[in-house]
Amino acid sequence: MSYTIKLAVTLGIVCIIAAFALGGVYEITKGRIAFERERVMKEALQNVLPRAKNIIQTTTPEGKVYFRGFAAEDTSAAPVGYAILAYGKGYSSTIQALVGVEKSGEITGIQILFQQETPGLGAKAEEVLYGETDSWFQRQFKGASGLEVAVDKDGGKIQSITGATITSRAVANSIKSEMEWLKKEGLILSESDRLY
Amino acid sequence: MDIKILLIIAIYSILIQNFVLTRFLGLCPFLGVSQKISSAVGMGMAVIFVMSLASAITWAVYTYFLDPSTSILGFFFSEETLPNLTFLRTIAFILVIASLVQFIEMVLQKKVPTLYRALGIYLPLITTNCAILGAAVLNIDGFSAIGLDGKLTCIQSVVQGFSAGVGFLLMLILMSGIREKLELESIPESLKGVPIAFIMAGLMAIAFMGFSGLSI
Amino acid sequence: MKRSLVQEFTKGFIDENPIARLVLGLCPALAVTTSLINGIGMGIAATFVLVCSNTIVSMIKGVVPKKIRIPIFIVVIATFVTIVEMVMAGFAPVLYKALGIYVPLIVVNCIILGRAEAFASKNSVGRSILDGLGMGVGFTMILAVIGSIREILGDGKILGFPLFGPDFEPVLIMILPPGAFFVIGILLGIFKWSDLRQEKKKLQSIVH
Repeated sequence: MSYTIKLAVTLGIVCIIAAFALGGVYEITKGRIAFERERVMKEALQNVLPRAKNIIQTTTPEGKVYFRGFAAEDTSAAPVGYAILAYGKGYSSTIQALVGVEKSGEITGIQILFQQETPGLGAKAEEVLYGETDSWFQRQFKGASGLEVAVDKDGGKIQSITGATITSRAVANSIKSEMEWLKKEGLILSESDRLY
Repeated sequence: MDIKILLIIAIYSILIQNFVLTRFLGLCPFLGVSQKISSAVGMGMAVIFVMSLASAITWAVYTYFLDPSTSILGFFFSEETLPNLTFLRTIAFILVIASLVQFIEMVLQKKVPTLYRALGIYLPLITTNCAILGAAVLNIDGFSAIGLDGKLTCIQSVVQGFSAGVGFLLMLILMSGIREKLELESIPESLKGVPIAFIMAGLMAIAFMGFSGLSI
Repeated sequence: MKRSLVQEFTKGFIDENPIARLVLGLCPALAVTTSLINGIGMGIAATFVLVCSNTIVSMIKGVVPKKIRIPIFIVVIATFVTIVEMVMAGFAPVLYKALGIYVPLIVVNCIILGRAEAFASKNSVGRSILDGLGMGVGFTMILAVIGSIREILGDGKILGFPLFGPDFEPVLIMILPPGAFFVIGILLGIFKWSDLRQEKKKLQSIVH
């Protein structure tokens, strides 16, 4: 019996040493991991809201999160644009995209933050062609009217990815529904509002 | 409890994202024990058993010890000093699985010797079967494809572990059936054994891709 | 017959290549090799764990009770895997995202436990490090080969650089899961074929 206890104690000691060693590495890398995560989000926000100098996260009373972009550090002026996360159910994952939009309802850029679609098909939503710096699929959204975003198969202007209509549609439709929410909140204007 | 989501998880883990064919988990036993149907069934059953249990236990360990938001360690620490131990996930899970396998082996040997004789030789192999650890990790990471983006609930985890095991058993049986037939075929000398088994697995993976179109 | 130190290092390249000869560590070899860069990334991560765990295991081989050596080896391996996981998340987040759950799964990569048990627990620290490095390089090489084949055929690119004109229609199946099985099946077939040929030659030279 005492031998068994000795074994258990030895194993316990090894585990404790391991846990402390990991704790140390965790403390060292923690800041870096958090920084990296924040950097990705910051860059994405800057990408989709190129005109904004200061971007502030806002939560509605219902718990929905969106971002307001201001042209200057001063946040008392009207925001130049809004950014919002859109979640669309694709073929093999929920695609998460960040969309930037101006008050006029014109999309200033989108960036897909997460997707696990089929490599070679749906995953092309993030494909950057050789010699280019941004994704050809996501670039198409720039300048489009947010409330009218749709893939070509649904009569819209967004060229869908060959063989991945579900993915393309998921991105377009999730963006459109977020735009509709922004409009309902009165943050962006629709086509008809702009005429007057 | 939503039964529908459990059913979706089951179909997803058995057919759509079969562990062996699309995630490449558990390939070593898949090739090692798929020569005869009888041993394939034994191994598959042992995996189902361990995987369901391991799913439940690793889920509990993660929820009640590692994740600071639900940890029972909250009794001993104040909110601010409560340690975030999620980085110990891998080490905790593999230890849980290794001890669980040992424990099952001892219990079976003492209490259910018939079952032990049937599954016994497969149990030690299971510790290093990546499918078990894979299932445990996936339960925490969630299944984005079927709308489960965060950690699964306990019941969902067990159902996921069980059906991933069923999917594994299914593949083992199909594969061993094919390999028993392949023995009698004349195939190039250099492709005999493992190489042809891989090519067969590739063909099966193509067939199973048909399921990925299921809208659930 | 004791190997020289150089042989200790190079045996993992071809003679005892973990994937080609020992058929170990298959899960990552197939799962992450949709592109060359992913294959190399996984190879380097596994090599790091392999060298570190071999070092520690061979250092503690005298004091570890025989009965619980496997659990202890697993703890050592899991520790280094977690370190890799955290460092990768902080410094190579894109690669970390691409490799996904296969990073924690390095723990159950049979090569690593296999080398700890079969080699490091019986040999000196220096030899164990060389063994780990050699095995790691051999593993990385195969992953790189599989990754390149799949990226070239399945995507028409290598390291993101397009090889063929715009008219090239990629063989999509190669970057999907079935392609992984085909590539490794055929690779193992080629290895076996060259082995058989060499054996035949040897036999013939004896006969003549």
